[in-house]
Amino acid sequence: MQPDLSVKIGRLELKNPVMPASGCFGYGEEYEQFYDLGRLGAIVVKGTTAEARPGNPAPRVAETPAGLLNAIGLQNPGTEEARLKIRRLARYGVPVIVNVAGHNTAEYCSVVEALSAETAVAAFEINVSCPNVAEGGLSFGTDPRTVFRLAGELRKLTEKTLIVKLTPNVTDITEIARAAAEAGADALSLINTLLGMAIDTRSRRPLLANLTGGLSGPAVKPVAVRMVWQVAGCVDLPVIGMGGICCANDALEFMLAGASAVAVGTANFSNPLVCPEIIDGLAVYCREQGFSAVRELVGLARRPAAHKAGGTGGCGRK
Amino acid sequence: MTQLQRLSVRSHEQVAPGVFLLCLSGGLTALPGQFVMVSVLPDSVPLSLRERPGEGFEPATALPACDPLLRRPLSVHDCRPGELVLLYRVAGRGTVLLAGRKPGDSVDVLGPLGQGFPLSASRQAILVAGGIGVAPLFYLARTLLEAGREVLFLFGAGEQAGLYRRRELALSGAEVRLATDDGSAGFHGPVTGLLREALGRNQGAVFACGPEPMLQAVAELCRAAERECIVSLEARMACGVGACLGCVVPVRRHGLAVYRRTCTEGPVFRAEEVYSCNPTCP
Ligand SMILES: Cc1cc2nc3c(=O)[nH]c(=O)nc-3n(C[C@H](O)[C@H](O)[C@H](O)COP(=O)(O)OP(=O)(O)OC[C@H]3O[C@@H](n4cnc5c(N)ncnc54)[C@H](O)[C@@H]3O)c2cc1C
Ligand SMILES: Cc1cc2nc3c(=O)[nH]c(=O)nc-3n(C[C@H](O)[C@H](O)[C@H](O)COP(=O)(O)O)c2cc1C
Ligand code: FES
Repeated sequence: MQPDLSVKIGRLELKNPVMPASGCFGYGEEYEQFYDLGRLGAIVVKGTTAEARPGNPAPRVAETPAGLLNAIGLQNPGTEEARLKIRRLARYGVPVIVNVAGHNTAEYCSVVEALSAETAVAAFEINVSCPNVAEGGLSFGTDPRTVFRLAGELRKLTEKTLIVKLTPNVTDITEIARAAAEAGADALSLINTLLGMAIDTRSRRPLLANLTGGLSGPAVKPVAVRMVWQVAGCVDLPVIGMGGICCANDALEFMLAGASAVAVGTANFSNPLVCPEIIDGLAVYCREQGFSAVRELVGLARRPAAHKAGGTGGCGRK
Repeated sequence: MTQLQRLSVRSHEQVAPGVFLLCLSGGLTALPGQFVMVSVLPDSVPLSLRERPGEGFEPATALPACDPLLRRPLSVHDCRPGELVLLYRVAGRGTVLLAGRKPGDSVDVLGPLGQGFPLSASRQAILVAGGIGVAPLFYLARTLLEAGREVLFLFGAGEQAGLYRRRELALSGAEVRLATDDGSAGFHGPVTGLLREALGRNQGAVFACGPEPMLQAVAELCRAAERECIVSLEARMACGVGACLGCVVPVRRHGLAVYRRTCTEGPVFRAEEVYSCNPTCP
């Protein structure tokens, strides 16, 4: 029997828990040549700002051990071009999640307002965490009061599912998670990239023109799993987990830690078929392990161990 | 059409110190100037969950190797039905791993990618290669020659050993002129020293691939001579298919400076678009 792979993120129903992560899948155009995008649980598009952004100077990417540093700088065509690209995706019948970025509250609001009536848009994912743009992301996502105010403003503007995407570049991610939840977010997604740096010893210069960049890929996975565990343990909202997922086994770790769905970013670059392969892999795991629905796995690793439990949960720790 | 394929190694030989010629068998049709993204991960490790349930390892628990994480971009050095040839210089961790592949091993290849060289109707063409820059120009030369064009191939390197595949080039029917910085073969000096004279006797467009300073010098000479100049660029890439926006170069289009993706809008560009543009723009 085929296991039931469907999951819910707030009111949003996904036929399976796997979606590409923002910024790693453009607007889907580049990957539709490899498989039917209709197989995906959802499609998350590139971070979108009100006006077009040129992005950062090159070089923008550098490989690190099992990881990737990037400083794209939110290059995107702006809301109106993005709208056309998003409408194109409607043909796949898959919920489209728009990743929203901005310099200031007004810019986030203008993107959400402009796209809120768009039927092709199923949800907004608020990128309060992009570490690349000097005046942007970082300051929003690292202060709980700012996140509370921003999410609150956006909540007033849209009925659509509102997902706040958290940055890992904070001391206590649960504090930010709670602020987003209190402001009325429907779900949380995490993690965005970890601020990092690499230096070329031959030229004795940083490898990125932007000097620093966001680290993603398998190198960040244990950090991401830990943060998903913490956040899922203290906020009563569905969590979309991501950070270094390369195969079904990685996706399972996130779900067992408490994620209701997962996003796959950097792995698309080395394996364009990674998303459908993970979907297949989840079905195989459920069948073999005797689960009739993938949602039964969510948070299973959180159940008390048979022997004496050790370690810390997310909450009640502060 | 871009495909993800496992090709098998037909032969793999070192043609100069640290430079390898890799012949792969399999169906991939590419144009001169296009490239492929090659996975350098060892063959023995299941690359992904590509294998289907019931055929060997279990998809749900198979762990793909993930270091080095990214594929490596390599130009199509030659392409015939059922055969893809790559020529690469060992430059670091990834190419060291690739160099370990033996005949019969398989190599995971994504391609063909990018725009090929524009082939004008002109009867003549000048190709300018610097070192490993010969990689894409070899296939271009063969294609032009088979179309009955006259090809003047200017090939420069630091020393004679860096003039990879020069004998095969000469056998292909191109008129090959060599230049070395140390004078060990051909003209003693930069390859651009040959270009001035070449522009006088060959009326064709100039196609160049090589180190950045060489490309700039070629572009400058062509501008002065009002000759069409096409360059093939390198950029650090993550996805190779246009999704990550990691590989951009500033390009001037209709008077405006914009970032263009080397992997999809390139790697082949008109020289005046990339070299009239201040690198800090837009
Ligand atoms: C379109 C294109 C075509 C190319 N064709 C050829 C070819 O035919 N033959 C050949 O020998 N080389 C070619 N190169 C360069 C080749 O991709 C690099 O030498 C190779 O990626 C180095 O990998 P490495 O792991 O051995 O080196 P490392 O130094 O360990 O590489 C680390 C990272 O930097 C990137 N990188 C390093 N050098 C370059 C470079 N020059 N250009 C782009 N990325 C780089 C790598 O991809 C990797 O992500 C081409 C590059 C591009 C963009
Ligand atoms: C090239 C690149 C571009 C990205 N762009 C965005 C973006 O525009 N908005 C955003 O919220 N996250 C962006 N991210 C972060 C990813 O969505 C994801 O959170 C992160 O990479 C961790 O997942 P991964 O390890 O699977 O890539 C980007 C990541 C990469 C590698
Ligand atoms: S390498 Fe990703 S856009 Fe070119």
